[in-house]
Amino acid sequence: MGKKTNFLIMKLILCFFMLFVLSGCLGEREINDLEIVIGMGVDKDESPDNILLTAQVVKEGIAGKSSGGGGGGEDRPFWNVSSKGMTIFEAVRQMTHKTGNRLFISHNQVVIFGNDLAKEGLQKYIDFFLRAHEMRPTAFILVAEDKASAVMDAKPETEKLPAINIGKLVKTYGFTSHFYKVNMKDFASCLMSPTTAPMAPLVSVIENGEDKEIYVSGMAVFKKGKMVGKLNEDEVRGLLWVLGEVKSGVIIVPTPNEQGKAVLEIVKVKSKVTPEIKDGKIMMNIKIKEDSSLSEQTTTENLATIEAFEKIQEATAEVIKQEIMKAFDKSRELNADIFGFGEMLHKKYHKEWKNLEDNWDVIYPTIELNIDVESKIIKTDLLKKPAAPNEGKK
Amino acid sequence: MSIEKGKISSQQLFFLIAGFVEASALLIDFTVGITEQQTWMVILAGLIITTPFVLSYVALAKSFPGMNLVQINDMVYGRFLGKVISLYYIFFFSMTLSFNIRDVGELYITFLMQDTPFIFFLIVFTATCAYAVTKGIEVLARISHLILVTGFFAITSTFILLIDQMDFSNFLPFFELPLIRIFQGIHIVSSIPFGETVVFLMIMGCMNKTEHAVKNTFFGLLIGALSLLFVAVRNTAVLGRTQTIWTSTSFQSIRLINIGTVLTRMDFVIGIAQTILIFFKCSIFLYVLVVAVSQLFGLKSYVPLVLPLAAIEVIIAATVFQSPVDHATITQNAGIIYSVPLVFVFPPLALLIAKIRGLPKVERGKGT
Amino acid sequence: MFGYIFKKISYLSLKNKNKDMLQDSESGENNSEPISPDLEKNLEVIKDILRDSSDVTIHEFNFGHDRKFKGALIFINSIADKEEIHKNVLQPLLYGELLLRDKVDMDFNKMDSIRKNLISTAANVKVTLLSDLLDNLLAGSAILLINGSKEALAIKPGKRESRSIEEPGTEAVVRGPREGFIENVNVNIALIRKKIKDADLCVEKFVIGDKSKTDVYIVYIKSIANPQLIEEIRRRLKRIKIDAILESGYIEQFIEDNPYSVFPTVSNSEKPDKVVAKMLEGRAAILVDGTPFVLVMPLLFIESFQSVEDYYARPFFASVIRIIRFLSYIISTLGPAIYVALTVFHQELIPTQLLISISEGRERVPFPAILEAFLMLFAFDLLREAGVRLPKPVGQTVGIVGALVLGEASVEAGLISPIMVIVVSATAIASFAVPSQTDSGTVLRYIYLILAGIAGGFGVIMGLLAALIHLASLRSFGTPYLWPIVPLNLSGLKDALIRMPLWTLSKRPEAIIWKNRDSYNQGQDMMPSPYKKDNNDSK
Repeated sequence: MGKKTNFLIMKLILCFFMLFVLSGCLGEREINDLEIVIGMGVDKDESPDNILLTAQVVKEGIAGKSSGGGGGGEDRPFWNVSSKGMTIFEAVRQMTHKTGNRLFISHNQVVIFGNDLAKEGLQKYIDFFLRAHEMRPTAFILVAEDKASAVMDAKPETEKLPAINIGKLVKTYGFTSHFYKVNMKDFASCLMSPTTAPMAPLVSVIENGEDKEIYVSGMAVFKKGKMVGKLNEDEVRGLLWVLGEVKSGVIIVPTPNEQGKAVLEIVKVKSKVTPEIKDGKIMMNIKIKEDSSLSEQTTTENLATIEAFEKIQEATAEVIKQEIMKAFDKSRELNADIFGFGEMLHKKYHKEWKNLEDNWDVIYPTIELNIDVESKIIKTDLLKKPAAPNEGKK
Repeated sequence: MSIEKGKISSQQLFFLIAGFVEASALLIDFTVGITEQQTWMVILAGLIITTPFVLSYVALAKSFPGMNLVQINDMVYGRFLGKVISLYYIFFFSMTLSFNIRDVGELYITFLMQDTPFIFFLIVFTATCAYAVTKGIEVLARISHLILVTGFFAITSTFILLIDQMDFSNFLPFFELPLIRIFQGIHIVSSIPFGETVVFLMIMGCMNKTEHAVKNTFFGLLIGALSLLFVAVRNTAVLGRTQTIWTSTSFQSIRLINIGTVLTRMDFVIGIAQTILIFFKCSIFLYVLVVAVSQLFGLKSYVPLVLPLAAIEVIIAATVFQSPVDHATITQNAGIIYSVPLVFVFPPLALLIAKIRGLPKVERGKGT
Repeated sequence: MFGYIFKKISYLSLKNKNKDMLQDSESGENNSEPISPDLEKNLEVIKDILRDSSDVTIHEFNFGHDRKFKGALIFINSIADKEEIHKNVLQPLLYGELLLRDKVDMDFNKMDSIRKNLISTAANVKVTLLSDLLDNLLAGSAILLINGSKEALAIKPGKRESRSIEEPGTEAVVRGPREGFIENVNVNIALIRKKIKDADLCVEKFVIGDKSKTDVYIVYIKSIANPQLIEEIRRRLKRIKIDAILESGYIEQFIEDNPYSVFPTVSNSEKPDKVVAKMLEGRAAILVDGTPFVLVMPLLFIESFQSVEDYYARPFFASVIRIIRFLSYIISTLGPAIYVALTVFHQELIPTQLLISISEGRERVPFPAILEAFLMLFAFDLLREAGVRLPKPVGQTVGIVGALVLGEASVEAGLISPIMVIVVSATAIASFAVPSQTDSGTVLRYIYLILAGIAGGFGVIMGLLAALIHLASLRSFGTPYLWPIVPLNLSGLKDALIRMPLWTLSKRPEAIIWKNRDSYNQGQDMMPSPYKKDNNDSK
């Protein structure tokens, strides 16, 4: 009987292996057949209802380590393919007419929407980027000042690939805190909220003679997916003060004797927002604690004294309050809840929230802010006194 | 006399149960759509509600030592009714097994390897489960602690890696949702991860020393529930409001891990852990199914039945549902209904009847 | 239906054929006759059997007073120790004072009296059957036949030609004794006895092999080893029926637990300290004459990562090295598979910059990644095989040239991508870090590569799970193969992946010795410290 069962086992194993071979190539994609996409841009096309999708695809051989010819001149390590379609997925597939292979968007770093498309409304186009299994939810979303395809064209100096450069720029928002990084998941989260306004950083192209430079600053404000306005740098920082997302930045205040400027670097920020409903009025208590470091002064005045510090700290707190108010005024003007106050109220007063939610557009401009800022200078870097003759000696 | 000749220790029972419950980590996605940010409460409530029932399984197994579920049914309910109830259990086992196998296939088709044909996953996975089952429960019990450790490691490491993206205010409006949804969620959670432990009634008969069985079962259930809790907390904290829109919240939250430029898109690594856990669960299910069927028909050994039953399961899994949407809807609404009698009614009832009738009578002459 | 009949018929015919074969081999055994007292007849028979061997020397002589007794000395020229025969057998018989006297009380027709009174070697054996006589003759003894005696005396040789004790070729160590076993089994037993001077050391002899009649010894420590283990080994050795045992590998393949498994269940070693250390844990060793490789059983999976050197070094270093060995086993088995799975199926897992570099390197390669990996692995195995068989002077140069040619030139020619070279070299180097699993690693590497090429990560996972199940169900002479990890045992874990300090390893591995044995091999409180204020220690 041993022989018979052996034959049976052989037959079974053979069938089993045929399963592997006969079911085709089983989803393998050779690595050099991939069209690696690192950035995508969506614009409105001339023909109505169509969008123009630009994908930045890496060109191997030049983008890799062993670039043969020094990489200068006309050789760009990427190429921008574009295609048209009524929706994003259609445009993505149409791309194969030009590339010959499906796009590989697993390494996509940024998605840039054109200004015109943003004004029309992004709700129609965001679904693909959330649903596609290849997409990363950590990809950044940006809005271009003009056309997204123009942004993708600008060749950066220190990085080989523009999209990676843009990603780097977005990630390093903390140095000035003049804009904020938004990835797909955050954007979707804000879209899902009935009250919060989604935002995205703005990117623009600056023509400097022959070269084009990319500049990321400010944020675009959306309401229900449609872009309704912009926040400039100060306003964005005001917003970030409230959200507690300021990492670092520069604050310039006049020195106590009004003769020059003291420049402070923000070191640490802690912020706490407590909503409060009092007599039918909604009040947001914002408490901010900020630590800064005296990084530069333009006068010869000796600022390393307690009195000078106090005055500078007051001035800093005032500047912060101003920025927050600027942000709030702008948001009132656009009637967009960029701070997420609605959600905060929801979390704390969820019974009253049911009534407030429907009238939020009317209620939002009536919110009052109660801002309390405490600013401290915790270090002065290497200098105690400025490089000037001693004034205090009599 | 039971077909299974192997013996397991009660410490291995602890690992078996814990690993089994932990394998359902992806199945809490069924409730997330309904209970949103209160999923963690629902899991705790489910644990509290199911614990007495699970302890009744242990008590039942202890009063009928060495016998598995089919034999107990025969003794308690009489020959005919016992066989009918056993058939009901067999139906439940085979359906749930095919759902779980399909789950694995869907996991790969949706997230990890999209171009591979669906049936390929089903066949290869079930073949490996069948191979594990032919080796017997002893082998599965021996590797149970390895599998539990792997699963736990995956869950805690992703939790830690995602801490900086967590926002605990996402839990905040407590008690916001209407109670009917909470009840539905509790029903789902007690049937699907915790209620499926009724399969252990087939395995507890193989224990060689039953003193610590109660303690081990309870702790096994607790540890399994803890891992589910971790997963639910992690998902809610990271994804916040958006967790109701994704097909699988666990995968989506893991995709957000982005440490340096190296640890990105870790979803495959978690897919590996999940595959191993579900493999464990499906092997136990297949084993239980095969032993139940062979016990019912009075066969001497269960090994010849493994391949045919595995093949039948593959076919059922391939054809029973059309899409993951189908799967979710039917499991949420129908699956939990037909499993209620099996999980909550029959075992305590059997215990009661056994106590009343004074079973098991010591019938040494019956060739036990 | 005809096919069925045909199959039935061929089956029956095969069965009968086997029966014939069995009968043939049995007809050769007809030498079990007793030796006749007639010297001439004995010599006739022996000459007839051994007529085709020209190195058999038969020396007839007369001895005793008046030279009235007849005797014959038979030995094989090439293997007997002629000096010893002359000095210890012929000389006493021919010139012994006792024999030259006239009246003696002893009957020199009886072998016993000659043996006890005249022969001056101690190592001699009485034989009564012709087959035994031939066995001893062919093993190198000299046979003494006396006219009128039904017994013959087989005098064992003293010296034998063999290699001197030197450092084992396959297991070099940095620290530790450099003695290795050699082909002479008696010297090997002597090496073991040097290390364990205990009366409990048992040495049991078996003779296996119809034509080779090889000496096989089971060595174990009676008070530590599990008697069921030894009984099982004896049983398995007794059922071996084979022409010749040329090497311990033959025995290994006849007594192992699962011949279809990729993983070995019997280990081998050339170093005496390693074998002795294992015997002290309750294992048994099998020494085979003619080979320096000693078998030790049972084998646990975790032993592949342990080396004797670990115990001579200090714990931290030893633990780190052990973890490195473990990792290198994983690399050597799964390396090419993971590379292929990642680059072909799961490119999203690779960091972007690395992906660009890899794809650029693969630009000119015409083969799909799996084929490329396969070719490289095959080339590496080819090199390794060739390197073993190359004559020494040529070996070094060809090795270097081969590596250079295969690596550099293939990349330049566009046959392989540079990263594949790195992956395969890493795999190759890693595979030598775990020497006892090289064979299983080589086979597994190909299997995982095929699985990865077909189904990517899913295939590798399923392969790993199947391997885990197989390992968990494998037993080596009754001990679970993955002990102490799979039946979890905390005291065993102290020596598994890391090596806790020697003064904590006070218990012998429980699964091997079983619970009724003395499981402590050290005193309880052995941790060293500079000064201990003990009540009883006053040193």
